[in-house]
Parts: sequence; structure tokens; C-alpha cells
Amino acid sequence: MDEFQSGEETSFVVDEVSNIIKEAIESAIGGNAYQHSKVNQWTTAVVEQTLSQLTKLGKPFKYIVTCVIMQKNGAGLHTASSCFWDNTSDGNCTVRWENKTMYCIVSAFGLAI
Amino acid sequence: MEIVYVYVKKRSEFGRQCTFSDRPAETNVDIHPDPSLAANFIERNPVDAGAQCASDMSEHEVNTERFEMESEGVNHLEGGWPKDVNPLEMEQTIRFRRKVEKDENYVNTIIHLGSLMEHCIKQNNAINIYEEYFEDEGTADVADEPPSAKTINVFRDPNLIKRTATHLSWHPDGSKKLAVAYSSLEFQRSSKDMSYESYIWDLESPNKPDLVLRPSSPLVSLEYNPKDSHILVGGCYNGQIAYWDTRKGGQPVELSTVEFSHRDPVYGVIWLQSKTGTECFSASTDGQVLWWDIRKLTEPTETLVMDISRKGILENALGAIALEFEPTMPTKFMVGTEQGVVISCNRKAKTPAEKIVGTFSGHHGPIYALARNPFFPKNFLTVGDWTARIWSEDSKESSIMWTKYHMAYLTDGCWSTIRPAVFFTTKMDGTLDVWDFLFKQNNPSLSVKVCDEPLFSLRLQDNGRFIGCGSQRGTVTLLEVSAGLCTLQRNEKNLATAMFERETKREKILEARHREMRLKERTKSEGKEEDTKVESEEEKPEELLARVQTEFFDIIEAELRRRERAARLPKTQVPRPGLPERWAEAQLHPGAGVSGGLADEPSAAARAGVEPPVLWGDQRKGPCDE
Repeated sequence: MDEFQSGEETSFVVDEVSNIIKEAIESAIGGNAYQHSKVNQWTTAVVEQTLSQLTKLGKPFKYIVTCVIMQKNGAGLHTASSCFWDNTSDGNCTVRWENKTMYCIVSAFGLAI
Repeated sequence: MEIVYVYVKKRSEFGRQCTFSDRPAETNVDIHPDPSLAANFIERNPVDAGAQCASDMSEHEVNTERFEMESEGVNHLEGGWPKDVNPLEMEQTIRFRRKVEKDENYVNTIIHLGSLMEHCIKQNNAINIYEEYFEDEGTADVADEPPSAKTINVFRDPNLIKRTATHLSWHPDGSKKLAVAYSSLEFQRSSKDMSYESYIWDLESPNKPDLVLRPSSPLVSLEYNPKDSHILVGGCYNGQIAYWDTRKGGQPVELSTVEFSHRDPVYGVIWLQSKTGTECFSASTDGQVLWWDIRKLTEPTETLVMDISRKGILENALGAIALEFEPTMPTKFMVGTEQGVVISCNRKAKTPAEKIVGTFSGHHGPIYALARNPFFPKNFLTVGDWTARIWSEDSKESSIMWTKYHMAYLTDGCWSTIRPAVFFTTKMDGTLDVWDFLFKQNNPSLSVKVCDEPLFSLRLQDNGRFIGCGSQRGTVTLLEVSAGLCTLQRNEKNLATAMFERETKREKILEARHREMRLKERTKSEGKEEDTKVESEEEKPEELLARVQTEFFDIIEAELRRRERAARLPKTQVPRPGLPERWAEAQLHPGAGVSGGLADEPSAAARAGVEPPVLWGDQRKGPCDE
């Protein structure tokens, strides 16, 4: 008989996603200092890597990933989000990462199909 | 083993509706401003940023290396003789030959070589590899393609103030050079800074003239000596004649003296056929034609005043603009004048009065170009005012053929040197027309717009393929005409001959008829009695007057009646014939007479108390209603 993997919960697991995001940021930006010329590249890299890892989880989810990189020069940044969804199956996860010269904030939203 | 992915969903959950719930806003990021961090940065004030919507470009330089070439030849001399044999000495060579012949292998070698040779010769004879395959077919029929002309090159006046290219002359051998005379022909328009230079252009380098000619006054006409291609003669704006030798540079070798030169610009200068090849003659609008020998330009060898009354009075003379000379008829020449008359002259006449043989009048304006047909010297082309005309020497009263009146002045014209039925003309609107009167007579068979400014001069190269046109801004355009226009068609000569003869005959017949009619009238008027003649003359105007008057009133009556009819109809528009309103008003005063119609209109209307109907549709108040 076919063996099938059962027991996978079709709900958004925040820790799992958070780990994926942290890995992606580390690999993309890692120990770099802020460079205006490279920022575009970095944001794209972070988002793409996160998304590919999330889809690899194989869950029946729609994912939305955003990434903000901000230089540390004294300015402030505030963002908020609000969602209208199914609380039991959908969820989101935000990771704030920083180093000496910049902040990086990545949000991932997952919506069950 | 197959990898199967299955995801599990509770059956009850299939197609389950989404239970929406609102998750209120939550702050994702909250980073407060920290001014101390700004200390890490230096403020840049002001910031200079360039904004340009242009694509990025890079500059590269390429320089071809000069490649040196050398022509070398190899001279092949008879060789193969051994060292001790001197090939020039007959004895030694004969002795050597005899020695070789006695050699054993000689015969075998020869036979072997001989068979090889035989094979090659037989092969050669079997097929003629140099055979011409399509000889019999002849050249393809070029007449099928539509005529066209394309610009090959453009030579611009390098000076800032542009002058008109008034005359072009091709180099006599090979036509690789073009001499262009530049001057400003507009009356008193030449400014101080206008340069006097004229140029000789090499066709290969349109950017820089080959030679610069520096006369003391701008050149109006310029001609190469057909015998000696280094000599050029030019006619100046102030009436002098100058000649150049291209080997000696840009300054004229000699200039004619002002006292004996022309008093007006020299519009035409042509070289004569002479043994020495140094004679030329010039024509100008001061009414004189002067003959010169360039070896002695201090005074002309001969003068002729263009006075048609043959009295030689300069005041009555006609200004000459175009000059024509055919080397095959060295004693005759023709002059085209400002007044539109072509004067044909004979150089060898005894007295100046006899020099002027005949005149041809027909143009309304100055004759800018005069050219004999190279194939039919009896027929010549004149270009002036708005037409181009073809004349035959036999019919002096009028031209035998002429083009229609164009919209722009025609400025120059010339025959094709290859096809007897083709000629070219240039116009003030910058177009070059090619006429082929065997093909089309009403319109040019090709009309090319060369440039926007007027074209002033035209010259065809001797091979008939290239034309140079000079414009008002000093631009000389070199055009190449399509093959159809410069290859002799079959039968063309016969057809052209037939056409010319036919037209000449027609003109002659017309002339004869005219003469007859004039003669008849003269005899008629002489034969009649005086009284009847006078009476009939008087009667005519009165009769005419009465007739016109009755006609006029008839028309008015008819109009009146029509109006009555129209007024009775319920305000519908009645289409009127094309009569003006005022005639209807004037009929109230029949005694007004023929001319009274318009003048009496206000008074007539006032007396009738009717306002003159201005609008078409205003039929309500007609004069008949009163």
C-alpha cells in the first residue's frame, strides 16, 4: 500500500517560518555593511530565498513575503499590519534583524488554500 | 519506490467555507529615531546630482593603419640556358641545341611532351572557353524600365555667403572634373564679404575643391578649352575676360583690359575651333559679342553689335545672354538675347551688317539657354520664360515645337549627347525635367526635384550619363540618369528625323498660309470701294449696341416673370439661374441703358421702396409685390 505522510498539520507554524526567514537573511546579508548600490540585490535575494524555502514545505498555503532594509542613520521606522482571514488556519511571522549599519525587517504571511 | 505526496484534509473540511475573523492591526516594526547614529555620517550640502534622460554612450576611436602598397613587375627573360651558354650568341645557342638533340632521351622526351600538348590543344579546340553566349540577343530592352535619375554627389559652396552656381563646365578628357563659376546675379545683391572665388571640383572629393580660381570679379561663365584641358576661360561680372592655366595655380594668367571689355556681366563665353586653339568669343547684356585671342587679351580681335536693324547702333542693341557655337559649323553662331529673340549670325560675312543673318522671335522673356541638337544641327533648343522651344533654322516665324507653359521659370536646358530626342531643362522651383518627345510630348518624361532653391545651370557630361545642376545657394548636384535615357533606342534617329521634318513642314505650311491670308486681305481691302467699307464699319458698333440692349431686356423680363412665379409659390426656394440680384433692380429703369445696371441699383431700389433682397431665400418681399 502506499505510504503516505500523515499528521502534517495544515496550519501556519510560526517557528518554522521564522527559522526559514532568519536563515535567508543571514545568507543574503550576513556580515555586510549597508551599501546603497547593493541594497536592491539584497532585498531580492532575501525575499526569493524565503519564498522558495516556504514553498518547499509543501503545505497548501499562499505566501506573501516582504523585506525592508533600512540604513541606520538616526531615522525611525514604524509599520503595522491588519488581516482579515481565518484565524485557525492562517498566520504571519515578522523577523527583525539588525547589524551595526542597518536594520532588516522581513514579514511572511501564509494563507491556507 | 514512488514518491507520493498526499495531504490530508478531513472530509468534513472539504469545500468548507472560510470562517473569516478580523485580526486587528499589530505593529510589525517600531524603531525609534536615534539622532546619535547620525553622528556616523557627514552631511553633504549641497548635493549635486545630474539628471538627464539620455542613454549611456561610450566613445571609441578607430584608426585604420596605413597599408603601403607597391607595384612591382617581373620581367621574364628567356632562360634555362646553362651557365656557359650565352643566350644572345647565336652560335652558342645553336651548338647547344644540336648537342641536346643528339642526346638519347631527347626523342622520348619530345614525344612524351608532344602527346601532352596534343591533348591540351584538342581540348582547346573542342570547346571554345571564351565563347560569347548571348551575343545574338543584343542588349536587353531598356525602354521598359521607367526613367529615373539618382543623385551621386553634392558639391556645396564652402563659403559662408552662398552664391549662385551660374555656369558649369566639364573637363574635356574623361570628365572627372567639373569647373563651376559662382557669382551673385541678383541686381546689386552682392555683399562686401562675398568671396570672388570659383572652384574646380574633382568628382571624387566633394568636400574640398580641387582648385580655387581667384578672379578680380566673380565669374559668371567658365569654360574648359576642349583642345587643351589645362586652359579655362572665364567671363567676369564686371565684363572682363580672364583665362587660367590650371598648372599655374588659381590666379588668372591674363585679364582683358577694362576699356575694351564688356560693360555688363559676360554671360556666355565659348571656345572657337581654330588651329591655335586659343580663340574664344564672349557675349554680354551690353549688346556686344567680342572675339578674343587669349594670347593677347588687351583688346578683342573682333566686335559685333547685336542690333537687329543691322546698323550697328549700340543703343538699339539687344543684350545677349546665351551663346551657341557648333564646332562642325565654324562660321555660324547664334546668340540668345534678353528680349526673347535669337539672332543667328555668320562670322565670315564681309560687313558687320551682313553678319546678322536672321532672327527668331518667340519667347516672352530672356533666353537663358540655346543649344543645337548634336544629331540634327539644323534644329536647336531655346529655353526662356516659362517654356522650352525647339526651332528649325528653316522656319523663322515660330518654333516648330514647344512645351506647355510651366508654373516656374525655366532657367537652363541642354540636349542629350546620346539620344537625339531627349533634352533636359531646369526650373526656378528646383526641378530638373527630362523631356523625351518621342515618348511623351505634353509632359516631361521624368521630373526630379533636385533641391528646394531654384536651379540656375545645367550641364550634361559628354557620355550623356551624368548631369551637373547648379543651384542658387551654390550647391552643385551630380545626377546619374537611368540607362534608358542614355542609350540610343532602335530607330530613334529615324523617328526623330521624321518628327523634326514633320514639324518643320507643318510650320512651313502654316507660315505659307499666313502669308497667303495676309496677302488676300491686303488685296481685298484695296479692291473694295471706300464708302461701303466705311459704312459697314460704322454700322457694326451700332448694330451691336442695339442687339446687346434687346438681349439684356429679354433676360430681365425672363427673370421678372420667374420671380412672379416664385413669389406665388408658398415661400419655397426657387433655384435661380446665375443672375446677380442687381439686374432685377435695374429693370425698374429701362431707360438706364446698357451700362446703367449696376450704377443705378441703389437709386432704383430707393425709388421702388424695396430693400434689395440680400439673401437667396428671402423671397417674401419681391419688387412685384408692391
